[in-house]
Amino acid sequence: MDDRVKKVLVIGGGPAGMEAALKIGQAGFRAVLVEREPDLGGTLRKLVSSFPRWENPADLVGVKVQMLEGNRNIERLTSTAVLTAERFERGFRVTLKHLNNGGSREIRADAVILATGFDLMDASVYGEYGYGIYPNVINSLEFEDRLRGWKEGAESIPKGIAFFKCVGSRDRSKGFPYCSKICCMYTAKQAGLVKDLFPGAKVYVFYMDYRAAGKGYEEFVRDVIEKKHVRYVRGRPAKVLPEKGRLLVRAEDTLMGIPVEVVVDTVVLASAVVPRADTRALAKMLGALTDEYGFIEPLPYTAVRSGERVFFAGGCGFACETQGALQQGAAAAAEVIAFFNKS
Amino acid sequence: MDTEIYTPLRLDEIDSALQRELKEKIDIDIETCLECGKCSGGCSNGHIFDYTPRKIVQLVKLGDEETLAGMDALWICLSCQLCLDRCPSGIDIPRILDYLREKAVTRGVKASRPDVHLFMELMLEEARDKGRVSEVPLMIRFKRKTGQYLKDAGLGFKMFLKGKLSPFPSRMQKPEGLKKLLSERKSEKKD
Amino acid sequence: MQVKRVVQPENKIPEVPQSVFLFRSCTGSLEYPGTENAVRETLRILGIEAVMDPDQTCCSGYLLTCSAHKPEVSLAVTARNLALVEQKNLDTYTFCNGCYGYLSELSHILLHNPAYLSMANDLVARWGYRYEGRTKIFHVQEMWYRLRERIAGKIVRPLKGLRVGVHYGCHYLAKQYGILDDGGYPTFHEELIELMGGTPVFYKERQLCCGYAVGRGFTHREEIVQPHLYKKFRSAREAGVELMTTVCPGCNVALDREQPNLNRRYGEDFRIAVIDLAQLIALAIGVLVQKLGFEANTMPLDDILKKIAPEKGS
Repeated sequence: MDDRVKKVLVIGGGPAGMEAALKIGQAGFRAVLVEREPDLGGTLRKLVSSFPRWENPADLVGVKVQMLEGNRNIERLTSTAVLTAERFERGFRVTLKHLNNGGSREIRADAVILATGFDLMDASVYGEYGYGIYPNVINSLEFEDRLRGWKEGAESIPKGIAFFKCVGSRDRSKGFPYCSKICCMYTAKQAGLVKDLFPGAKVYVFYMDYRAAGKGYEEFVRDVIEKKHVRYVRGRPAKVLPEKGRLLVRAEDTLMGIPVEVVVDTVVLASAVVPRADTRALAKMLGALTDEYGFIEPLPYTAVRSGERVFFAGGCGFACETQGALQQGAAAAAEVIAFFNKS
Repeated sequence: MDTEIYTPLRLDEIDSALQRELKEKIDIDIETCLECGKCSGGCSNGHIFDYTPRKIVQLVKLGDEETLAGMDALWICLSCQLCLDRCPSGIDIPRILDYLREKAVTRGVKASRPDVHLFMELMLEEARDKGRVSEVPLMIRFKRKTGQYLKDAGLGFKMFLKGKLSPFPSRMQKPEGLKKLLSERKSEKKD
Repeated sequence: MQVKRVVQPENKIPEVPQSVFLFRSCTGSLEYPGTENAVRETLRILGIEAVMDPDQTCCSGYLLTCSAHKPEVSLAVTARNLALVEQKNLDTYTFCNGCYGYLSELSHILLHNPAYLSMANDLVARWGYRYEGRTKIFHVQEMWYRLRERIAGKIVRPLKGLRVGVHYGCHYLAKQYGILDDGGYPTFHEELIELMGGTPVFYKERQLCCGYAVGRGFTHREEIVQPHLYKKFRSAREAGVELMTTVCPGCNVALDREQPNLNRRYGEDFRIAVIDLAQLIALAIGVLVQKLGFEANTMPLDDILKKIAPEKGS
């Protein structure tokens, strides 16, 4: 029996990684939380507001960071990335690189939790939408920046905004066949926020369906539609064209079966969720399974275990909302703890 | 000069006046429509409507008053209330149709089914004149106005023989009060 | 899933051939013989021999677009035409989007349905033909883009900033796979225009179909085709388009020949000349203006020729 305190490397400091590191630290094991950005929080740091309760994500991040800082079992390494990783004895040997001063450091870990999170697909394949061609066609993460700018009192007041859902998702031809799960909810959030900030703006959401499968989710979306008066139009838009300095959207209102048009200032694309670029390489180094899209794949009959001593949580496994990331982080930590207690 | 150029409907230029009107005047908020189609699925006459109940609500959202005033569904709806009964949001579609029908008639829009409109008007006339609506006088009025004298004549005769049709209509004792009430309403509506 | 739809021209045409079979277009060669000539001359200047054959027939696309008959009826015609090309061991180059679309589609049907192939070959065997699927189908616009550097090196009449609005037409980009550009937002013609010194104009209805819809021009000219074209030309005029280019004689007919009727009906003054991209390239690389057959164009090219080819004032 090994008397040394077991150590877990958690790659990724978003909600999944933070929760995992926290639970491991609280259980009495050591955790090294590695995050390539200068601050913890992952994608949460880019977000303005959250569903279903319109809470500020920064508050959640603040709470978690405080708890992490208060736990001496947890080492937080920000601005740090994993350079190499390989199996070594009954664990891993990992080289970490500091992204600012270029220094590197080697650590040993008895287990690894991958929590590298997600990214959004590059929507420029959709030439018909003009992403990368028209400056005001942006994706939903880029739109969060605009929302923050507006909240802090930015200049341009939008007269009209159109949100396109399922850009790249549910698309066998140019995108991915899967559903990215979170876009219906975050689009409702973004649309609702615009109406809160600018009640006079015309806000449209072009959808095929809206998937609100969670506690308080359906009510959230109905609220955005019925109380904030965001106009939902059923029909996947076909084309975005320039119209006298603004943008013209062509779609069909499938419920009536008639083509419709709308002229707006900004088009926001809810692009498909994809795993972050470095996930596949990391998975290979650590011996974790991945699926055809690069998402980490669980072993049969498990939820968060992807290989021998390798676990995962959050967006790198598939699109999930904050709550899901926290849950998966805790689950991965529980798996690790159980594993350690057994050996 | 013909400047016909076909362009699709511009959503940002539609007038939501009708939607607001329904909310203010008859307290129906169609924003709560989930677009599920349960109303259309169970509509008694849905298969012969030109616009099914779900589409009718969508037309209100699109502000298309012209289509709504001229559509066939306005006059062949049976008011069976199944749509209202089944709607998960409780949207009172029959009431919406009543409202639209009244509005169309007031504006003078020709009904898609003139006989239906005529029948309703004659029924009100009967009520106004006699205080009660009796079948035989109403039928006589209708047949005079439409010239359909021989239609259902055989059936009518059989009913008369069985004592189901009375040539002597019952009258209200003091019809003047009702007459006054109805004419007040009529002039009120004209304002 | 993310399948590669767009191919690089160097992958589609790895080696530039010395001779190609130029597939004559019924509408092209009859309505705009200048286009056919421009294609031949341009190919010649670029170092490629264009082989033609009077035995070739129409691709039958005209009737197919009208939906006059089922595609199966055109299979033997396609087999014969392509067998004719295969006898010469060449690849097939068309200069009409319609021919390109239909030859590609029909040859695909033949090569993936053995029953159809044997039926077609049985028929055409009577005249000694046999289609094997050896000849590949291209459109000359692909060759222009493939040889864009060669073209750029041969410009003698730069376009001097001429505002050109491209019309891609539908049937090339509609193929979606194995084409040179994304149907969502194509730009390869505009690149050629820029190379020649012109100003490409991205007018709003750039990707709108020409509305020719072979047959509708006869049956529904006023109801459908004219309002449709009006939308296109209004958008082109608003953006300041001086010249429109096409790569399909069908489109050329619709856009060129209908303008006077539009002007009459809508009280307008559209004066946008419409020529084939090959004619524009030929003009830029110095082909004699007489050889380009602009007399066949309804909308006059005088102003444009004055600007680009002043030596032949026309």
